[in-house]
Amino acid sequence: MDQVTSQPISPITGRIARTTPWHQRRRTRRIAHAALVYVLVVPGAVLFTIPLLWMLSTALKDPKQIFVFPPQWIPNPVMWSNFPRGWNDFLPFNTFLINSLIITTSNIIGNLISCSLAAFAFARLRARGKNFLFMLVLGTMLLPQEVTVIPQYVLFTRLGWNDSWLPLMVPPWFGWPFFIFLLRQFFMGIPRELDEAARLDGASSWRILWNVILPLSKPALATVVIFGFIGNWNNFLYPLIYIRSMDKQVLAVALNMFRGAYGNANYQYMMAVSLLVLLPVLLVFFFGQRLFVRGIALTGIKG
Amino acid sequence: MSATTAPTRPRKGFSLRQREEIDFYLFIGLWLIGFILFTGGPILASLAFSFTNWTGLTTQEWVGLENYRQLLFDDKLFWIATRNTFFYSLGSVILGTLGALFVAILLNQKLPGTTLMRVLYYIPSIASGVAVSILWIWLFNPQVGLVNYLLSLVGIPGPPWLASQQWALPALIIKSTWAIGANMIILLAGLQAVPTSLYEAAKIDGAHPWDEFFNVTIPMISPVLFYVLVISTIASFQILTDVLVMTQGGPGTATLVYVYYIYQNAFQYLKMGYASALAWILFAIILALTLLQLWGSKKWVYYEDPGT
Amino acid sequence: METHRLSRRRFLQLAGAGTASVVLLAACQAPAAAPAGGGEAAAPSQTETTLTFGHHWEAAFRPRQEEFDKKYAETHPGVKFEYTYNTWAEHNQIVPTWAAAGTLPDIIYVHGRYAFPWNHEGIVVSTQDFIDSDPEFDVKGIWEEALRLYRYNGKQHGIPYDHGPIILGYNKDLFDAAGLEYPNEDWTWDDFLEAAKALTVGENQWGYGGYYNTILELGNETGISFVGPWGGEVYNEEETKLLIDSDAARAAMQWWADLIHVHKVAPLPAQAQAIPAGPWVAGMTGMFALASWGTPTLIEQASFAWDVAPWPKGPAGRKAGSFGSGFGITRDSKHPEAAWQYMREYLSKEGMEFMWGSSGRGSPARQAAYESWLNSPGAPANARYYMDALENYAVTGHPYHTLAGGEILDICNRNTQLVQSGDMTVDECIANIIAEGNPVLEDAAKRLQGG
Repeated sequence: MDQVTSQPISPITGRIARTTPWHQRRRTRRIAHAALVYVLVVPGAVLFTIPLLWMLSTALKDPKQIFVFPPQWIPNPVMWSNFPRGWNDFLPFNTFLINSLIITTSNIIGNLISCSLAAFAFARLRARGKNFLFMLVLGTMLLPQEVTVIPQYVLFTRLGWNDSWLPLMVPPWFGWPFFIFLLRQFFMGIPRELDEAARLDGASSWRILWNVILPLSKPALATVVIFGFIGNWNNFLYPLIYIRSMDKQVLAVALNMFRGAYGNANYQYMMAVSLLVLLPVLLVFFFGQRLFVRGIALTGIKG
Repeated sequence: MSATTAPTRPRKGFSLRQREEIDFYLFIGLWLIGFILFTGGPILASLAFSFTNWTGLTTQEWVGLENYRQLLFDDKLFWIATRNTFFYSLGSVILGTLGALFVAILLNQKLPGTTLMRVLYYIPSIASGVAVSILWIWLFNPQVGLVNYLLSLVGIPGPPWLASQQWALPALIIKSTWAIGANMIILLAGLQAVPTSLYEAAKIDGAHPWDEFFNVTIPMISPVLFYVLVISTIASFQILTDVLVMTQGGPGTATLVYVYYIYQNAFQYLKMGYASALAWILFAIILALTLLQLWGSKKWVYYEDPGT
Repeated sequence: METHRLSRRRFLQLAGAGTASVVLLAACQAPAAAPAGGGEAAAPSQTETTLTFGHHWEAAFRPRQEEFDKKYAETHPGVKFEYTYNTWAEHNQIVPTWAAAGTLPDIIYVHGRYAFPWNHEGIVVSTQDFIDSDPEFDVKGIWEEALRLYRYNGKQHGIPYDHGPIILGYNKDLFDAAGLEYPNEDWTWDDFLEAAKALTVGENQWGYGGYYNTILELGNETGISFVGPWGGEVYNEEETKLLIDSDAARAAMQWWADLIHVHKVAPLPAQAQAIPAGPWVAGMTGMFALASWGTPTLIEQASFAWDVAPWPKGPAGRKAGSFGSGFGITRDSKHPEAAWQYMREYLSKEGMEFMWGSSGRGSPARQAAYESWLNSPGAPANARYYMDALENYAVTGHPYHTLAGGEILDICNRNTQLVQSGDMTVDECIANIIAEGNPVLEDAAKRLQGG
């Protein structure tokens, strides 16, 4: 409670003035703080939305309006029909949607398991050759895939996996360097005392991972889920090369099938379907980032 | 939080250290097997191809180090591509990381609307590919594009961007900042993991917000910040789609970036062997940069468990 | 092919064996992957053949393809179809990938620019024997300009399906607004320049310009279109040397560069490139070099009235370039005879009429099939000028029989772009192209000899 130490009388209103000056009061501080945040962040957010609004605008246009100059923002007429037409009339997008969902879900689970295991090992366990192996993990990210795509295709073909989902769905169960690296960084930020306490209780490495590290890593795991979803949802090159039959194809490749020769495309349908394809990603993000709420993160850090 | 009560079975004669090592190899086993089965072979194959004149189709003859000799001493486009890529990487990594950090900190508050804004900042990084690149061609239009419009609001006459030799690469850098949403997420996750008790302790000590930032926040998120730096660097060295769709390496050679040059050699010039050599030089360059970053990380990255 | 090359399969096995030896050994016992991946029985069934395709059609055109194939299947019982649709942009990346693993489909789309390299590398096999023993297949009815793109060492490999020249497209609305007469058969380049000047109005309208930088572009069909009327050549006939340093070629290139910088009737790259599909489609230029394959898109996207006229006459007469695409039977095909049976109908007069004539897609490679296109809603009113060009003054645009085609095109583009933006003079540009390009061409010629 504020202590009243003096009660000056305002010469104007005759009332007793408050003792804490306005710029120190808690509530004003918080409002000012919030206002500062908004001023800094909102303009960027608006800027970031504009390109998407343009996509929406194109998606609702008649093709003859897409390329006029100067560009119009408001389509006239507004062709809502581009959405259902783009989705239904040309290619079986419902099939692609299911395919993408299956592949993506399986890959996320595979990634979570394999990458957590490896990241824990790199973060917490000591062994000879660890640094070399970690460099190897990093190293696999450095070579552009343009030069490994053909040898890898030959390999998978020799395994008999041509025109199947196997080249897309099996490797994620064996780790993915980006996530191994990410989780390792997160795990290394968790205090070792917790591990040691558990070890004293006789826990195995597996127990430590499962009972100590993972519960404290929810934001990191949510990140892996979010990025895993996008990475797989938008993955274009691999499905393009490994899937031959239309009924096995995925959304990311199908989107590009609106493009024809010489850079021409049915832009209105392509934009419409692109926006639709974005929606699941947004859903995943929305639910995933709920784990980013402050306060859940860390317990167990006693003084 | 207590662990399971049953003590681990003592393995025959293994010390604690040895047990840990066994565990290590068990845990990375999946990755190691996958590496050997799926990744290692193609990587070695591409190395082997870099010593040939493989066209990408049928013709293939051993040429030894000729590809490497040619690209280092005879190929001025190699040097141009390297220089362009360095410049692009510097710009996009610095802007991208700082931008992502800035926005992540601001959106780490429990204020109304932050969730919506996180989504808005994040969407662009997932809207992918050709549609987006085409969109940005419009945005960079000198006359009616958004970028020059915004500049004109503050009285700056905008340059011809994609058609200008000086400004085409900066245009690509600007476009890359649109994708900071991804790094923002990672940094947000890192910020979430900083224990509030540390901030409380700092406040009790009378810390100024700047002190809090530099002495609590940065060190605590430094592992994740380091990740963002390394990954951004690697990704920026491998940019391709933007150039493929928006500039095709031009005007002149202004936006000829390294992986675009690889792509041209591999699939348009029938020089897959040469392209493989180029790729391995790129590998060496990024590796050197990553090692440099790793070495530098000892100075500023703070891990909770030193001594691993 | 030549015997001194390392066997590709053996090389790949050696390279991959290093770390994946166990896997490869096990996998080598697995059945060789059939293109269909459907596990066909080892003994080919007598009654059923599956033909596999590598197409590049965008989504909107596929129903047409599948309609043709349905009719074909009805008249040829026992034939089934399996498609792989690649995007046009990635097709030329995917085919080499398939080729490396031996999983090419029976028939693939072959763009004219890739015909020679793929023939040379043995990806697309020769159909000469089929043609020789099949007098009913009217190979002579296909334009020679189209056929020669797909010939290798005197033998026909692929068969073209479309072929078209570059001629003059014009925006009727802009011509009307300027009170000008439409281009006609007597037009020379001076007439062109006069009209272009009258059509350049204000800040956002030019007399000529279009898709990206189709001024001074020395690509396949545009190179000869731009320097030919002045008597110049870009390549020599064997494609071992560049000839753009001749006086005629230099004069031509200077004339076109002047359109941008002296007469200002064409937009700078900064102005043209900033519009994704080019100012022509946006209705901002009066004229454009309009290839026949560009007409379907224009019909869909243009909001103005337009038509075509012959490519104007130059000091050395009339000359324009032409180019096209086709299909080929691949090396990995297990049923080349069945594939040929399909191709001979697909690319017959009736087949072309159905697929590219009456469908409106444009420029079938046969003279006899052209009428059906002219009568389709996909053709502009004066589309017979395309046929006129092919019959009288269009030549196949170089390069089409060197391995260095892609590289030379990039070298030319890099330099001509800078002339267009005003950062380089025509003389410098020619000097650069010759200096960079000739060694590449010579090297490619040596690689052809097997050196």
